[in-house]
Amino acid sequence: MNDRLASAAMPSFNPWQAAIFVCLAVLALLFLAPTIGVLLSSLKTTEDIALGKLWSFPTSLYLDNFRTVLADPAIHTYFLNTLLIAVPATAGSIVLGILSGYVFAKLPFRGSDVLFLAIVAGMFFPPQVILIPLFRLFNGLGLLDTLWPMIFVHIAMGIPICTLMMRNFFATVPAALREAAIIEGASEWQVLTKVALPLSLPALAVLSTLQFTWIWNDFLWPLIFTQSDDKRTIMLGLVFLQGQYSVAWGIQGALSLIASLPTLIVFLFFQRYFIKGMTMGAVKG
Amino acid sequence: MEKDKTLWRVAMLIPPLAVFGILVVWPLFSSFYYSITNWNGFSADYRYVGFDNFLQIFHDPLFTRAAVNTVIWMLAAVIVPTGLGLVLALLIDSQVPGASVFKSIFYLPICLSAIVVGQIWVWIYQPDWGLLNTAINLVTGGNSHFAWLAKPGTALYAVIAAWSWQQTGLAMVIFLAGLTAIPPDLIEVCHIEGASSGQRIRQVVLPLLRPATVVVVALGVINSLKGFDILYIMTGGGPFNSSDTLAMHMYNESFKKYHMGYGSAISVVLFLIALAIIFAYFRQLRKVDEIYE
Repeated sequence: MNDRLASAAMPSFNPWQAAIFVCLAVLALLFLAPTIGVLLSSLKTTEDIALGKLWSFPTSLYLDNFRTVLADPAIHTYFLNTLLIAVPATAGSIVLGILSGYVFAKLPFRGSDVLFLAIVAGMFFPPQVILIPLFRLFNGLGLLDTLWPMIFVHIAMGIPICTLMMRNFFATVPAALREAAIIEGASEWQVLTKVALPLSLPALAVLSTLQFTWIWNDFLWPLIFTQSDDKRTIMLGLVFLQGQYSVAWGIQGALSLIASLPTLIVFLFFQRYFIKGMTMGAVKG
Repeated sequence: MEKDKTLWRVAMLIPPLAVFGILVVWPLFSSFYYSITNWNGFSADYRYVGFDNFLQIFHDPLFTRAAVNTVIWMLAAVIVPTGLGLVLALLIDSQVPGASVFKSIFYLPICLSAIVVGQIWVWIYQPDWGLLNTAINLVTGGNSHFAWLAKPGTALYAVIAAWSWQQTGLAMVIFLAGLTAIPPDLIEVCHIEGASSGQRIRQVVLPLLRPATVVVVALGVINSLKGFDILYIMTGGGPFNSSDTLAMHMYNESFKKYHMGYGSAISVVLFLIALAIIFAYFRQLRKVDEIYE
């Protein structure tokens, strides 16, 4: 019995552990292969790739693909457009989620559970369900081919996840804390901004990373709502530039990497929040 | 006091509910309305056509094709990312050295956009120098230039494989969250009682992972309904509509052919399917909650 416990405590001496490690390492390599392939292709000339040298290790550092991409003014426009959408839409959806989340957590009323569930359910529907009426709405408002439709739609589509996350977080703020503040003469608004929000910074971090990543990566809405090149977002631009650099595989690789850079950075630095948000959003639905 | 509360409820709920109502709920109901018209997307002149659009669905071979493909996609979503995600989670949970690095590697694809994932896999399937053909030729010594995405027999499955590559990490972290929720005492007891790893996993761990499995399966099915971006960039639904899904078919009818009335009817069908899945999902979650309370 004792050595069983000991072997559980010291995994490095267990042959099973070694087998599992090797197994995982092989799977991890297979999993990384596609990403490594893009990285390699971005460091090679089109001729090298066409000659089948994509999967060999680069002998010299060839950075012209990245130079070409970074010097392309279209890329600058796409990046700027996407930022102009992602930043206000992320902030907007979180602010609205804070408001509704606070009511559902701290000021429940008859039927508030049903209303809450109905809003959260919105998270799961395919966007195709509201595509046509929104197209007509923004056409009627004369906002097609501007950045506004994407900002509005991402704020609205973000409300379910933001409401869910903020309600769950506010629910952990002790009721006694709120009551004490109210007795001291604080308004609900002051309780929200001075008591509940400062305690909810992790939730805000989770939501900012999730929302920013999703909005940055979005493709369908700008595909429907924009036409001219100077209104395109980065993912839409990526698809159109593919035509322009159709057989320039190396340039396409560099493009993909640069377009993914902001979300990769968010992922590397906020991975903990990102994973937490993904699992919380999924499990507590 | 109670009056104050009501005032605050109203003041705080109006902004989010107004935005959600105008941009999500109202469009949803308008979709129902357009689905019984023959609107073409631009003209002000359209009329009521009753259930013609829905009848047309039954005579549209492309719709049938898309519906069958969507079901195939759902089934694959339940089997591949769920199975692979479970295996990865169990392996990583066994206190293997470097567990957190492995976790990050398998999770990484989730933060990439479907467009980038699609592009990466277009290269994998590239007939001349793509990773897949290169690997096959290396193993068999042959000279395959098979165009995986250009053949009706393989296009859909090639896209599903790419999609699964991205979704597996999500399934894995949900299973991992489920595994950490299992009380360590229980695992300890297994060790003390001398249960083998196989017994422990089959008789203790897997039953306790039921809630996580419900979530993973439901998310997989729902996400497969949403599968559009990756399809758009990899095959566009082709060749010859062989990889069309309902989401893709709806887009093509509405924004390529401007059959907005018919497109709305397809979106109503999509809505009903999603609604059924969400109902089943919420009910399962509630059942699971009851077991654990």
